[in-house]
Amino acid sequence: MTEALIGFGVVLALVLLRMPIAFAMGLVGLVGFWMETSWRGAISMVSRLIIDTSQDYGLSVVPLFILMGLFVNKGGISRELYAVSNAFLGHMRGGLAMATIVACGGFAAISGSSLATAATMSKVAMPEMRKFGYADSLSTASIAAGGTLGILIPPSVILVIYGILTETSIGQLFIAGIIPGALGILFYLVAVRITVARNPAAGPAGSRTDWTGRMRALRGVWAVLLLFGLVIGGLYGILDFWPIHLTFSPTEAAGMGAMGAFLIALARRSLSFSDIREVLSETTMTTASLFAVLIGAWIFSNFVNIAGLPEALRTMVSELGLSPWMVMAVILLIYIVLGTVFESLSMLLLTVPIFFPLVTGLGFDPVWFGIVVVVVTEISLITPPVGLNVFVLKGVVGDVTTGTIFRGVTPFWAMDIVRLALLLAVPGLVLYLPSLM
Amino acid sequence: MPLLKRLAQLSVAVPMTVAAFTLFGLMVLTFTDVVMRSTFNAPIEAATELTRIAIAVIVFSAMPLLSARGQHITVDLLDPLFVRLHMKRLLDGMVTLLCGVMLWFPASRVIDLAERSRSYGDQTEYLNIPTFYLGWFIAIMTFATALVMVLRGLIILFAPHKLGLIRND
Amino acid sequence: QENLVISSWLPPAHPINVDMLEGLVDMMEEATDGQVTGEIKMGIAPPPAQMDLVMDGAADVTIIFHGYQPGRFIATKLIELPGYEGNAEAASVAYWRVHEAHLAELDEHRGVKLIGLSTHGPGQIHSNKAVNTLADLNGLKTRLGGGVSADVGAELGLVGIQVPAPKVYETLDSGAADGVAMNMGERISFKLNEVAKNVYEMPGGFYRGSFAVLMSQQKFDSLPADVQQALEEEVFGEPFSRLMGAAWDASDVRARAATEEAEDNVIVTASEADQAAFAEMAAKVREKILGEIADAGIDAQAAYEMVKAEMAKESN
Ligand code: NA
Ligand code: NA
Repeated sequence: MTEALIGFGVVLALVLLRMPIAFAMGLVGLVGFWMETSWRGAISMVSRLIIDTSQDYGLSVVPLFILMGLFVNKGGISRELYAVSNAFLGHMRGGLAMATIVACGGFAAISGSSLATAATMSKVAMPEMRKFGYADSLSTASIAAGGTLGILIPPSVILVIYGILTETSIGQLFIAGIIPGALGILFYLVAVRITVARNPAAGPAGSRTDWTGRMRALRGVWAVLLLFGLVIGGLYGILDFWPIHLTFSPTEAAGMGAMGAFLIALARRSLSFSDIREVLSETTMTTASLFAVLIGAWIFSNFVNIAGLPEALRTMVSELGLSPWMVMAVILLIYIVLGTVFESLSMLLLTVPIFFPLVTGLGFDPVWFGIVVVVVTEISLITPPVGLNVFVLKGVVGDVTTGTIFRGVTPFWAMDIVRLALLLAVPGLVLYLPSLM
Repeated sequence: MPLLKRLAQLSVAVPMTVAAFTLFGLMVLTFTDVVMRSTFNAPIEAATELTRIAIAVIVFSAMPLLSARGQHITVDLLDPLFVRLHMKRLLDGMVTLLCGVMLWFPASRVIDLAERSRSYGDQTEYLNIPTFYLGWFIAIMTFATALVMVLRGLIILFAPHKLGLIRND
Repeated sequence: QENLVISSWLPPAHPINVDMLEGLVDMMEEATDGQVTGEIKMGIAPPPAQMDLVMDGAADVTIIFHGYQPGRFIATKLIELPGYEGNAEAASVAYWRVHEAHLAELDEHRGVKLIGLSTHGPGQIHSNKAVNTLADLNGLKTRLGGGVSADVGAELGLVGIQVPAPKVYETLDSGAADGVAMNMGERISFKLNEVAKNVYEMPGGFYRGSFAVLMSQQKFDSLPADVQQALEEEVFGEPFSRLMGAAWDASDVRARAATEEAEDNVIVTASEADQAAFAEMAAKVREKILGEIADAGIDAQAAYEMVKAEMAKESN
């Protein structure tokens, strides 16, 4: 156990010294495994993981979902999503911020990444909110917070990676994310209402759209509904009726989604040849970087495993007489603390190999734990000092300080904690939908 | 120098084109497989093994360029500190160099493993493609990645103004 | 004391972990007075990597399924042929004996020490669509594990879907496959009672599935001579193969009981006519595979006859 903890410390140190996380985990895993077995054994294990991980069928969802998100983006769907939410909510106080949240939720349903969701929506929603005189703190915070939904509402790259690392069903994880994601939207809407109740000038009402306008706006989002319906409906098995039996595995859902998004973007003539090239090359780069960290994480987790950390933690827990919920509370606290400084994926990769065996050994459901981990990861995206979504906003908007954004985010962050507590108290919120599958 | 530059650009452009085509092919393959299965009850039986090969090709074609651009996922928490201490360039150079050197070991081991699987006659289930081809491809691209990272590390340390040579962005 | 690292890629509660590999640890401890023990480590690498891991000393012992490495193992398909009569214990014992007499000549496990061979019980078709006759199998999208099951599947007209075993539940649940070919015991291990409520059962099975347990030769050589001898005489080879076969049988019995108990599960046994029809298909597959094995360079027919004779001996 000591070896594993030292290893963990060294990984942290290397990562802070700017070594890419894939290499830090891989190096420490290699050296640790070497000390536990032999050089030949360790290097063979590492090489086999390089060969096998890069050929893992289940991982083909990663490039395909990224591809889908990028094609969707080129199709101009984000603008339409915002238009329709705005048509329904814009006339209320704080309405534009509320529309932003809802549009983020909609975009999350077709994009697997929180950063992409925040970056895309900020380009669309920010100018609109500025036009109506929204306080920068509220407008940027609503995008940063709304963007975090990208990894909870399916599809989600983070959930895929959790599923692969822990051999948990990706289909079930996706379905399990729907209710907590919807709750997230609802709670963020409450956060907007709280903000404008305390400071009405932060979010004045926008213009009202009549019902004909609303219906017209609704027609613009058919593509989103179609894609989400195709992907989630196919995964859930509700498109399985005569004469076409459209049910698929996550990989197939991702392939269908990507192809669908490609065809929609083509049909709208919003896709040039150079766009296609750009989308493909961006997808391969992101995919390669994700695979590198996955391989590194797996190497590290093999070291942790062979050094006996999971068993040691279990023994410690039982010797200390801790109840499962106390252990869970400690783990979540660790996540929230780590989350203040760590980026979402790194945090997941570093911790899941250590906590997962412990948590499932204590009888917690692996799907439920996956969703809870993603919710704490979402929180990490908007907490200071390092909140990636906040930085994305800062990058796109430019003339606001990160301090302003972090301040604006506080009510959203508070609602996240409430949501987390709710999911802990009522696991059914997570597990009900997958149980119907 | 222009020739070297052209060569460096080609060496990343060719794999990127391969990766892009493979990715597009993967999307079309998955789509076709599902459609054939759902409507005609005739899935493409080799789809799984083709998918597996495709991902390996995508990932390892992109790996050298990803590493050349220094776009691996990195935690930049202490960057302000390193900048203030004027250590960032030194640190980056040494870390990149180290990463490149350390990749050399698994890369050569992958070749041994590929040769071993050739000696056992390993092949894929449906198409009977010998698996050592892919092993060799992965090994070569890992070597290329190692080389690129060593170069990048040296350039950062000794000739930072030349960094544009190995970048293509 | 030597604590062997046993690498496994199966779900924690699978009989391979709980009964066979833990059983191996018990047998080794008993034979060596506790000088050799072992602990199971899960998920170090995917199935096809396991043999490499042991060969290079990343783990000391592992179990492999031969069908996951097409091209590498040919003679091991002998035990997977349809048409043998007898349970997994009889088949596993016969398997070890025929390996010693015939198959070992090809040295397909070269580079590692072979310490046990086994086959699971008769492989049946589990589906979420009703299957009542052999003809119903035609066009059924079915997950096949590789090896002989793929050849049998082709004869039956099954449409093959390739997914690793841990993804079977999801694949059936999502409807991407209609069925899966597995032995009865896997109904519990992979929760098939929930997603494949029909079993179409062919007496004697449609095929069987071949496994080997491998040990690092280097590790074995490093043990003291008396320990080596004790392991060779009391554990490795036939005794351990028998234990594995018996564990497969026990899992089949448990799963059958659970399936019969579950109200929405049905087991349909093939009619006499369908049994006869399948016997013809089986003969074709047998001819093809025995041809492949003979091409590899051993007397395939004699080996086949030996398996039948040994199984008959064991079954009495
Ligand atoms: Na999403
Ligand atoms: Na944070």
